[in-house]
Amino acid sequence: MVNTLPQVAALLPVFLLAFTGLALLLVDTISPDARSNTSMAVVGALGSLAALAASVWLVVSGTGSADTGGAITLFAEAIKVDTMALFFTAIFASVTALVVVAAHDYFHDHASPAAFYSLVVFAATGMALLAAANSLAVVFVALEMVSLPSYVLVAYLKQDRGSVEAGMKYFLVGALSSAIFLFGISLVYAATGSLLFAGVAEGIGSLAGLAGVAGLGIVMIVGGVAYKTASVPFHFWAPEAYEGAPAPVSAFLSSASKAAGFVVAFRLFTEAFPVGASLTAGIDWVLAFGVLAAVTMTLGNFAAAVQEEVKRMLAYSSIGHAGYVLIGVAALSQSGSANDAVMGAAMAHLLVYGFMNTGAFLFVAMAERWGVGRTFEDYAGLSRRAPVASVAMAVFMFSLAGLPPFAGFFSKYFLFMGAIDNGFLWLAAFGAVNSVISLYYYSRVVKALFIDDPASSSSLDAIDVRPTGLYAAVVFAAVATVLLLPGFGPVIETAEAAASALF
Amino acid sequence: MIDVFSYVPAIVLLPFFSFLVALGVGKHLPKGGAFGGIAATAGSFLLSLWVLATVAGGEAANRTLYTWADAGGIGPTDIELSFGILIDPLSALMLVIVTLVALLVHVFSLGYMNDEGETGLPRYYAGLGLFSASMLGFVVADNLLMAFMFFELVGLCSYLLIGFHFREPGPPSAAKKAFLVTRFGDYFFLIGVVAVLATFGTAQFAGEGSFPALAEAALNGSGSVAWTPGGVELQTWLTVVGLLVLGGVVGKSAQFPLHTWLPDAMEGPTPVSALIHAATMVAAGVYLVARMYGFYALSPTALAIIAFIGGFTALFAATMGLVKDELKQVLAYSTISQYGYMMLALGAGGYVAAVFHLTTHAFFKALLFLGAGAVIIAMHHNEDMWDMGGLKSKMPVTYYTFLAGSLALAGIFPFAGFWSKDEILYEALVHGLNDPLLLGGYLMGLLAVPVTAFYTFRMVFLTFHGEPRSATARDPEPVRWNVKGPLTVLGVLAVVTGFINMVPVQKVLGVEGIDLLHLWLDNHWGGIDGLSSHHYADIGPYSSGYLVGGEVGTVLVGAAVSLGLALGGLLVAWRLYNVPSPTEHTAKLGGIKDVLYNNYYLDELQVWLAYRTEDVAGGANTFDQGIIDGVVNGVSSVSLFGGSRVRRLQSGVVSQYATLLTLGLVALLLALGVSGGWFL
Repeated sequence: MVNTLPQVAALLPVFLLAFTGLALLLVDTISPDARSNTSMAVVGALGSLAALAASVWLVVSGTGSADTGGAITLFAEAIKVDTMALFFTAIFASVTALVVVAAHDYFHDHASPAAFYSLVVFAATGMALLAAANSLAVVFVALEMVSLPSYVLVAYLKQDRGSVEAGMKYFLVGALSSAIFLFGISLVYAATGSLLFAGVAEGIGSLAGLAGVAGLGIVMIVGGVAYKTASVPFHFWAPEAYEGAPAPVSAFLSSASKAAGFVVAFRLFTEAFPVGASLTAGIDWVLAFGVLAAVTMTLGNFAAAVQEEVKRMLAYSSIGHAGYVLIGVAALSQSGSANDAVMGAAMAHLLVYGFMNTGAFLFVAMAERWGVGRTFEDYAGLSRRAPVASVAMAVFMFSLAGLPPFAGFFSKYFLFMGAIDNGFLWLAAFGAVNSVISLYYYSRVVKALFIDDPASSSSLDAIDVRPTGLYAAVVFAAVATVLLLPGFGPVIETAEAAASALF
Repeated sequence: MIDVFSYVPAIVLLPFFSFLVALGVGKHLPKGGAFGGIAATAGSFLLSLWVLATVAGGEAANRTLYTWADAGGIGPTDIELSFGILIDPLSALMLVIVTLVALLVHVFSLGYMNDEGETGLPRYYAGLGLFSASMLGFVVADNLLMAFMFFELVGLCSYLLIGFHFREPGPPSAAKKAFLVTRFGDYFFLIGVVAVLATFGTAQFAGEGSFPALAEAALNGSGSVAWTPGGVELQTWLTVVGLLVLGGVVGKSAQFPLHTWLPDAMEGPTPVSALIHAATMVAAGVYLVARMYGFYALSPTALAIIAFIGGFTALFAATMGLVKDELKQVLAYSTISQYGYMMLALGAGGYVAAVFHLTTHAFFKALLFLGAGAVIIAMHHNEDMWDMGGLKSKMPVTYYTFLAGSLALAGIFPFAGFWSKDEILYEALVHGLNDPLLLGGYLMGLLAVPVTAFYTFRMVFLTFHGEPRSATARDPEPVRWNVKGPLTVLGVLAVVTGFINMVPVQKVLGVEGIDLLHLWLDNHWGGIDGLSSHHYADIGPYSSGYLVGGEVGTVLVGAAVSLGLALGGLLVAWRLYNVPSPTEHTAKLGGIKDVLYNNYYLDELQVWLAYRTEDVAGGANTFDQGIIDGVVNGVSSVSLFGGSRVRRLQSGVVSQYATLLTLGLVALLLALGVSGGWFL
């Protein structure tokens, strides 16, 4: 059925997202004064759900997979739709839907919420485009399409000093990183003479004395990726942006935006800079990613362990998870038998992470909505007034820590297993030790929610509203985190199939 | 055609449902859920008879019902873990024994528990139901891992039931002891299970790919095993694995040196003791060896060790039974001793003899325990035999059935115990003439015969004969049908069970076809290939030797000697204790008396060992707290310290971020560039 459609239909999810963004602007333009929070949220949620449905449908019907004629390339090969692109589009669309629904309650008293929804959806459009990029130029443009709305989103609470300052810092670090990234692209172009991934890969194979130039370029591109995924040493923006931003935006950035960074990494470092050719040319980016992965997860977890505010803890934990996912690139090897397994596991981890991390940030959003405070102590005894949400939060925490029987355990398990199979025992060991440390600070949240007594008998009185949208989003994310457990088979298979198409 | 084997799971599940019912709604049922248990075990019993009849009709089953893990592996071996049933002549026979004894124990409990006004009855009947279900699951298990699981469940249930009167001081401690001591053995069993899975990649008992078959093929050189630990010879490794599994057997079947839990377990209600000793817990160990006999038969060393442990335990436990004052204590030591005989038989290559004794013992020991229970009811729960006497005329049903059981236990012709014990000793003798270790086992087993007869009849005479020695003995409480009924059934069985296997008669007179059990276990009416007594004899290490007069002469001499010794023991007991007012003769034993009273100080030894273990554990604790915890705490303080450094790094000043970011990138560039030679 799909075959009868024009090839460009493979970009349907991207078009849907872009159209939704435009529609949101249109609604806002027609009636700029109306307090259109609800209608905006509905339009945004419907649009992102439609994009989700479209991408799932395309995956199921085999679009771009090796069985049905391989990836679909469009626009002079600048765009390439394959299973991985659709898989990640599904992640982006799910997170967007969750964030939009939750934002409805979060911005219930905001003066002009309309722009928020269109910015989120436009950023999601950029991410979806990023997942399908097949040229360094498209990558850069799409990356900026994600970044620019993100800066605005972080600073969206204009009256809040923290929000504005975080947006400013995010923008400055982002500008620097974009510059480095762009410089890297130009160096790679200089060395290989192509912007298309296939052409770059060809060029890497015959560098003829330009290995140094290409190497510098690739390491700078690694830097750009590290910025987008909030990995060391480009992570500095993350704790402040996540903390200062409105919580739904933190959820969006730490889940979807990070996944967007990884999809670039997965594509670039398999199709443009293949392991074998790069190593032959003396460009050992595997080692670079290995070092980054180890340092990132260690730093993220160490720092998360000493935080007093839950949101900031989640920010660092998000850095730690970036470290885990980096294993998916860092554990590749020239002759490894498990290359697709480890990268597939990293993709699956991103999917699971999309739900559990978004859910956790949305719980924080709910706490901000209630106004109970930001520290662990402020969360004490919340389960007495909000049992359902607290159980959901406990699910997120344990799943993030990687405890069975939650989905986070399996994705992490497959990830470490793949790394070991590929001969990267040291990375898996690093990951395991860090997981143990992470259990400490994740369980602090659960302890506060369920075991600790509230600071005073009146401290729970703040919980006087039931934000329906937030509740729905949090519970949905929790259910997804649990349901991904029985459904993990298809997920990991799809992810591995997507990854194996890259090699 | 109805497939009876598809009902086999129901045999296990019926008592399990009675457990659930008693546990859930037992409080609201009449008799605390007893009738549910009776109905369930009766149903299981009928189904078991049907299974037995079907097996006699030439059918057998070896089926996997549910695979719960596959495509995994221990080390280099791929394995599949499953639940299934294995119904062959052995398990069909065992099913009937277990369900029958369980049924009778349930009925008897009406008299022993309900009529005595015990509280907590739903808990009691729930325990009985789960106990029966666990044992039945163990019996039908088709692989070692499943057997292990149910084996552990049996242990758990014994803990729950021995500690039934948990408000008194004795039972909880006895329950704990039973649990811990058997657990010590099960620890080795567990390692053995893993070793079997790792070695063969399967734990199936029967069939082409079963582990005994694989082991046999590997020893022949016509096959190979998946794994042996580096450099160990196959034969040695098989022996080691067999001995590891044997650890569980020694614990559960109360063999030396792990027998100490069993006398203490008398703290449990008497029907529970009957169940534990006759059909469930203690029988489980011996049954396990019989179940995987095809494996043990391959290892002469393991067999010799089994035989020696068995013979030693038989004699050793019997001597301790000599001086006990309490009715149930005597029975407890007799149980240890009798299971010693079974182990002796298994070790001596007498597979059929062991199963035979397991069968007869199940009936007469259940009978003796239930008889003792009846006496205890009559005596208002006073168990001291010196307070009894003269009960013969006041409770005739109990007396005559108890007497039948005692004659069977002492091995007097023609009661059941005579036939089975005689066959064990015969097998040990003919095989032992070529094997000194086995001969030692035989001699100890033979020495235990008069001792057994002596303590058995000391017990009978003290309890039932002579003048009543207390007020309650003069006016005992009457017992009802629910006590007499089971006693009668078992009394008849104790007399006649021996006739299912009259091997001596067959050998001497040459009458064919009266060794029914031999034919049964030899797949005469059908069974599963590789699980027959002939097969075991073929692969076993033993050859027969005979005394004067060839086979017939040896049979006659052996039987005469053992019967003569038994009668001798009986006569001594008669002389000493069958008098109107018997007195203690233990003083004549001198110093030995104290040793026997104190069970050879083995309990003390175990306590001493436990304390030494505690010392070792203290060392391990220091290691744990100092080194292990030290490392863990170190990691945590390092991470917290590192975390606070990182926090300081996160200064909030964006120009510093840009600097650090750029420096980081430059460092990465330099490192990769220098190592990759980009700058040359």
